[in-house]
Amino acid sequence: MQKPAVKRTVDMQIIADWVEPRSRVLDLGCGRGVLLELLVQTKDVYGIGVDMNFEKISACVRRGINAYQGDMMTFMRSFPSGHFDRVICSRTLEEVDDPAAVIAEALRVAKAVTVGFVNHGYWKNRLAALLHGRKPRNAVYTTEWFESRPSNPASIADFEHFCAEKKICAVRRALLRGDWKSPCVFRPNLFAGYALYDLTR
Amino acid sequence: MNDAEQSEIAVHAEPGEVGLVEAHDFVTAEAFTFESGQVMPGFTLRYETYGRLNAAHDNVVLICHALSGDHHCAGIHSLSDNKPGWWNNLIGPGKAVDTNRFFVICSNCLGGCQGSSGPSSLNPATGKPFGIAFPFVTIRDMVRAQKRLLDSLGVASLFAVLGGSMGGMQVLQWGIEYPAFVQRMLPMATTARESAQGIGFNEVGRQAIMQDPEWHHGEYPKSGGPKVGLAIARMMAHITYVSDASMDRKFGRKRKAPSDNAAYNFDVQFEVESYLRYQGASFINRFDANSYLYITRAIDHFDLAAAYGSLEKAFVNVEAETLVVGFTSDWLFPPEQNRQVTLALLRDAKRASYAELATDLGHDSFLLESEELYALVRGFLA
Repeated sequence: MQKPAVKRTVDMQIIADWVEPRSRVLDLGCGRGVLLELLVQTKDVYGIGVDMNFEKISACVRRGINAYQGDMMTFMRSFPSGHFDRVICSRTLEEVDDPAAVIAEALRVAKAVTVGFVNHGYWKNRLAALLHGRKPRNAVYTTEWFESRPSNPASIADFEHFCAEKKICAVRRALLRGDWKSPCVFRPNLFAGYALYDLTR
Repeated sequence: MNDAEQSEIAVHAEPGEVGLVEAHDFVTAEAFTFESGQVMPGFTLRYETYGRLNAAHDNVVLICHALSGDHHCAGIHSLSDNKPGWWNNLIGPGKAVDTNRFFVICSNCLGGCQGSSGPSSLNPATGKPFGIAFPFVTIRDMVRAQKRLLDSLGVASLFAVLGGSMGGMQVLQWGIEYPAFVQRMLPMATTARESAQGIGFNEVGRQAIMQDPEWHHGEYPKSGGPKVGLAIARMMAHITYVSDASMDRKFGRKRKAPSDNAAYNFDVQFEVESYLRYQGASFINRFDANSYLYITRAIDHFDLAAAYGSLEKAFVNVEAETLVVGFTSDWLFPPEQNRQVTLALLRDAKRASYAELATDLGHDSFLLESEELYALVRGFLA
């Protein structure tokens, strides 16, 4: 599944801004380690990435990033509470079996959790569903339904409802428009393409 | 073309191959105290090197062999060799462990029988082989003995230390024993403590040897000894190094002879039987039964958590960057044991990674050709 690399500068920068210098960071679904490498270079963090894919882990090793190939829940359960300063879930939640369990465990093992996700409520997705009744194909959704892994997309409204239900505190949030660059202030559930939340218990 | 040019071409390695190599002996006359408290007035380690030591003496990669391995991990001894060193596919000019960049060293472990001091070596005090009077050897003893060899070669620091199985145990001990000396650890298909199942298999092998009437409590002539027991130990061990799937693929139910012949006796019926018998027969030509006892004991004895209080305590002073590699079909040193090593290092906030290769060749996977493994190792050593 291709991820739109060209759009992903501002969201990574925001994540980096929220990370404290020299903190302990865990990146769930770390991919090739690009974000962790940025955090090491700009914030001198001690970082670990977790991913299920061997090729991605191999790329992290080549980058000099600590990377663990395996299941993120089993990984987190191997650490004491509050061991990490921050867990980052950047575009990972829509691909996990049990998002609530992942967030709960992340909030146990870390003091703060940063979640980044594509806003499924974005007006173009709604229009595509309304007009064509088909999976959207664009710079964000790059694959046909028959070539895609199962995914559990969430909208901003879904996510904020989840936080209220589970009594999770969103310390700050950053909402980006369809270009994933400019900030979105007006009707985010409709007009934000990407959302970032910083959570604590 | 004159004579001088012709002889030069004869000794040049093929591009990408270590080529012709010869072993050397490191002999030390300084007393060595084993972990058991026993003392020897010195020892010998047979070793090979590939590549060249740089000016700073810090481009050294140490290779640690497994139970039945030895110092000859790359290249050939002569043009009539059946096969090259046991890790030749990984080590060589331009290969994953690049001998154009690194000075690669591999030595036969203390307690071994391929040239290093072990139970088959002559005891200077008696003029006869040590037998089981040879001091009890631990993984830590093997590592400390190797350090003396590296000191004699003028090695300033280890760029990396690599090994699989028992070699991986040595790798971990290296990082613990000499924290500032070791820059990188690459243990594969290994564990911080062997499972009961692993100990069980080793014990069966040892019993086969010790119950062989020719063992004579470890006192046997070089031409004799418990060859039957050793061959049986090897046959069984070989099964633990492969996998159900790979054995099925290689042998299945293939028969050695036409099925109408001799179907109801105990001679070789199946290809797999013939292969295992061959494995046993060729092993006894190059391995000493007493060494098999000593080295399997060292493997069983190795337990980092017990030795240091916990795995985290064992690794607390480690300074090296580590890559642990597990293999999905390895049921002797399963992935979970390799994961545990990595998690302990990460809990200690060390630089460490864990990668897992999907193979179906069993424990021996780390020795076999794998472009993915080469890329991983290359990336780690870059």
